[in-house]
Amino acid sequence: MLACDLAAAAAGVAGGQKLSTALGLQPGLAVGERDQALERKVLESLACWAGRFTPTVSLAPPAGLLLEIGGCLRLFGGAPAIVETALAGCAEQAYSVAWAAAPTPLGARWLAQAGNREVHATLPAMQAALGGLSCTVPGWPAGIPERLGAFGLHCLGDLARVPAAGLRRRLGNGPVDDLLRARGELPDPQRPFVFPQGFAGDLDLPARVEHAEALAFAGQRLLAALSGWLHARQLLARACTLHLRHDDGTHSALPLRLAEASADDGRFLRLLREHLGRLQLAAPVEALRLAADEVIARPGASAHLFEQPPVGEGAPACLERLRARLGEGAVRALARQADHRPECATREYEVAADSASAGTSTAAFAAPRPLWLLPEPQALAERPDGPHWHGPLQLLTRGERLESGWWDAGEAGAAGDLQRDYFVASNPQRQRVWVFRDARGWFLHGLFA
Amino acid sequence: MTTAPLPVALAEVLARGDVWCGDTLPGLTEAGIPSGHAELDAELPGGGWPRGNLTEILVDRSGLGELSLLLPALAQLSAAGGWLALVAPPWLPHAPAWAATGVAPERLVVVRAGRQAAWCVEQLLASGGFAAVLAWPPAGLDARTLRRLQLAAAGRPVFACLWRSTAAGASPSPAPLRIALAAGEGGLSLRIVKRRGRPAARPLILSIPRPGRTNRVVAGPALSPVAARSAALAALA
Repeated sequence: MLACDLAAAAAGVAGGQKLSTALGLQPGLAVGERDQALERKVLESLACWAGRFTPTVSLAPPAGLLLEIGGCLRLFGGAPAIVETALAGCAEQAYSVAWAAAPTPLGARWLAQAGNREVHATLPAMQAALGGLSCTVPGWPAGIPERLGAFGLHCLGDLARVPAAGLRRRLGNGPVDDLLRARGELPDPQRPFVFPQGFAGDLDLPARVEHAEALAFAGQRLLAALSGWLHARQLLARACTLHLRHDDGTHSALPLRLAEASADDGRFLRLLREHLGRLQLAAPVEALRLAADEVIARPGASAHLFEQPPVGEGAPACLERLRARLGEGAVRALARQADHRPECATREYEVAADSASAGTSTAAFAAPRPLWLLPEPQALAERPDGPHWHGPLQLLTRGERLESGWWDAGEAGAAGDLQRDYFVASNPQRQRVWVFRDARGWFLHGLFA
Repeated sequence: MTTAPLPVALAEVLARGDVWCGDTLPGLTEAGIPSGHAELDAELPGGGWPRGNLTEILVDRSGLGELSLLLPALAQLSAAGGWLALVAPPWLPHAPAWAATGVAPERLVVVRAGRQAAWCVEQLLASGGFAAVLAWPPAGLDARTLRRLQLAAAGRPVFACLWRSTAAGASPSPAPLRIALAAGEGGLSLRIVKRRGRPAARPLILSIPRPGRTNRVVAGPALSPVAARSAALAALA
């Protein structure tokens, strides 16, 4: 037995028991097998997430993570602030944490394992805290606490007071070196965790999920890991894909695309929520996989000394959310296109803050052009005194002939060959409109608003 | 013996900070965007189109020059690198015409909001990333929605403009500036329905640059060939 939940603990089940003992105590016990490969994966994903705090992260299997925060205390505003942020992040991802902050890695681990939950900023403070721990240190050979107890040594503080040479003879080198490393008297270099070249995070869901909204929570863990990985590697992501594995063996993909590259998991999460709000799951989901598709190097930029922090999230993030809610094609920027046909002179494209897609045309027309164009020219009623639109229309300019577009006549969706005479006209309500006359009659095409 | 009151010039009294003159317009904390029309700037609190406040423009017909009224201000915002958003516009914006007036089309975003126009406007205003948001909301916006929009705009340097029909002018609105437009003799007739400070006395007539000749009709419109043919057929029969 490794661990059990509260109900099982109430029945007397505890870690370290044999499975038969546990089943004897609680016959209906639901037993899950330990998967060490999965544990390792989760630890690595958590290490990726921790990349947001410090670039120097070390794994301490099976369940330990060491963050070297000495170099980034100023950035976060002190050790308590980092600890608070990290704990909040763990709580968001629903991990329960035992933690301690101390000047040596081994000291911090021992204190965390003993449930210390304090920040020890200086070596003497940590040594004092270590002195109070019992000699039952995980990783030491079995029987050592009993032997030490027989010497009359019950806590690590007692060990530090007896001569080291005698201890070495009786316990072997390992435990004594450990003790010295923990107390900061021997160097203790750690093997840093290498952040992978590309990011792909897996998450097996504990239960099958049938509603898309429920995936947001699981997606949050993956996005948090992605964000930490981006921070650690100094990258920004513009697009990532959430692959869903369904219980019938099929896969589906949910692409997330930001208007501007970002490393902020909150933005990806908001986008994910909008997408999930509209998603209909074909089958229940078993597992998620998040892959970063497009990453770019983070551009370095100096901040202004006296810059006012901008209020709100800014235009690109807002447009992204609007697009996620309203669907593709609902949020467009405009560009001019070098075409004389009014229908073709405006091009719409998806907004992207960092890809400047300016108009291809700078041609200015001598004749007036209306601000509004009707989606389709509207046929005008003709009376003996001419075309009518809310009253008889009077022409205010000479005609402007537009004959263009023979090259795409007959193509589907193209404007085709146009032969029109355009006029500015006015009706008795003083509305200025853009009308044209062609072989089929008079049409309204725009409004001079 | 009584002492005569000290002779104090009226101008000195008026210059005191704790004396409020009933006929002055309150200065807004944030300067307005110059509208390009001096006589209109003189009437608007803050000396121009307000930022961080909802502006309602009440107009029933299009093609009167109502958008051209805003163009000098929009061109100025766009030239300064600001983003403009059109939410649920009634027709398609024609990029060459907007570009010709100085608005950069690549920073002009068209949002086809459908029934979520109010939500979109609120998001756009609250994002703080836009210099101007022009919205054509569906008729029948309730006061609660308007209040939400006003709150979203408050404190942000955004020119927020809602286009509504003149029928909406009868119902109260939290927008601090409401202007009704109509076509008048010699230009666009502009009536300030509501503003901060004393109410406006009479409508303004602004001459907005319009295409085409104003005084003389060029030629009577000829019938189109189709109509002419049918008229000829009718004459024959």
